[in-house]
Amino acid sequence: MGKIVIVLSFMSLFLYAEALNTQDHSFKNTCLSCHEQQQIPSALMYKRYLMKYSTNKGMEEAMFSYMKDPKKEHSIMPAPFFLKFPMKENTDLDDDTLHKHIKTYLELFDIKKKLMLKE
Amino acid sequence: MLRSEKRSLFRFLILYLGSTFILFSIASWLYYISSKHHLLDQQRESIKYEAEHIKSQLRTLHKSNDAKLIYPNSKGTQSAIYDVDKAYIIGTFKTVQSLDINKYGNRLYHTVKMEPYYLGAAYLLVAKDINVVPIEGLQRNVFLFMLGAGLFFTMLGYFLGKLFVAPMRDAIEKMNHFIQDTTHELNTPISTILTNIEMIETFGKHEENSTELKRIEIASQTLSRIYDDLTYIKLNHKYHRQIVTINMSTLVEERIVYFSAMAEAKGLEVTVNIDPNVMLRIDKNDAIRLVDNLISNAIKYNKTKGLLDVRLTEDLFSVKDTGIGIRSEDLSTILQRFKRANKSEGGFGIGLDIVNQVVASYDFDLEMNSKEGEGTEVSVKWEK
Repeated sequence: MGKIVIVLSFMSLFLYAEALNTQDHSFKNTCLSCHEQQQIPSALMYKRYLMKYSTNKGMEEAMFSYMKDPKKEHSIMPAPFFLKFPMKENTDLDDDTLHKHIKTYLELFDIKKKLMLKE
Repeated sequence: MLRSEKRSLFRFLILYLGSTFILFSIASWLYYISSKHHLLDQQRESIKYEAEHIKSQLRTLHKSNDAKLIYPNSKGTQSAIYDVDKAYIIGTFKTVQSLDINKYGNRLYHTVKMEPYYLGAAYLLVAKDINVVPIEGLQRNVFLFMLGAGLFFTMLGYFLGKLFVAPMRDAIEKMNHFIQDTTHELNTPISTILTNIEMIETFGKHEENSTELKRIEIASQTLSRIYDDLTYIKLNHKYHRQIVTINMSTLVEERIVYFSAMAEAKGLEVTVNIDPNVMLRIDKNDAIRLVDNLISNAIKYNKTKGLLDVRLTEDLFSVKDTGIGIRSEDLSTILQRFKRANKSEGGFGIGLDIVNQVVASYDFDLEMNSKEGEGTEVSVKWEK
């Protein structure tokens, strides 16, 4: 019985890690590869969102709205930004996947992880 | 200083100093609160300055691309940042219950709204320990002021009080001089009359049971007693008592004999119950004044052919009469000097005041039961 529980636990852990890996992989392919290719400053964009919305929830909602309808007037980036970088095309991702990708993005650049007190 | 003068001065000082103290306490308290707020405001200003400094450091951190972002920490000041939902992000102190806080315990707090939200911080809460040194200095100054003002106003009050009671003192002194002069002038003729009556009675140059002579004797005794009472009152505040053991039974019997002519003249039925050899430690003059005044009052205010009951036991001395009695509303003030519940009889209203003084001096108990129109019973108890 004990062995079965241990085996099942390992299997669950493996499947969860695999799912995360798949999620990360999908995010990199779908979002980050394009950002890197076009040299879009992802960290800078994160800070700009953070400066305006303060919480992950607020940022997620704002990003989701923009992704669904990417227009200059929906973006928080300054006008000169679009002179240098192309306007994003409409996404073909479903809402659930889009939410997951945004969460991964926020997790990746989360500034709170860098914050620490002086020892 | 006279007793009444002391009492008046004491009452005046209590009233004057009490009201002054209340007034100054309120004024000092208001001054203290206002100054303390001013000092705290000054300290709060320094916290605001610190907050602006931390804000600028947060902005720098936000723009930094370093892998580690060290939260600003300045000596003596603590701070923390919160997101737009007021959730704690990071800080040099743990989270507090509310961001709407100004002061808690010995700390001052200042909350700054951040716009834009550098590092996601919508609120910056800065805290600093209150510097108690200037507040303690303020408390010391207020205390010294109250102490100085208290001393000054006590001296002023004493001076003013003496000034205010001066007319009363003059009036009392005049009255005392009058009593002194009167008693001095009365002494010689009273002694002469009493001595001559005694001589007439001794050498038999009179008719037996001469009514006229009895009247003269009673009148002379009354005058003599008034003289003794006035002398007692006059000397009371500087009278040196000689406390000795006195046989009260003998003394009361002697005083009843002394008053027998007066009681006889009024046709009183006198009943005497005296326990033998009742001993009491008391000044003899005090004992005579106590017994004389109670018996004399019982005779004077008794009705003609009434009853007079004199009782002496190991515990008490009591005199009961069937006289005019005292109204219940007068019972509380009847012991005061010059107070007379009934003005139909002669007298100065000093008898019960003397009784009260003697009772108070020896810590006896005075009990007075009276019913208007029926009579009065006065008891002095010395065994508690």
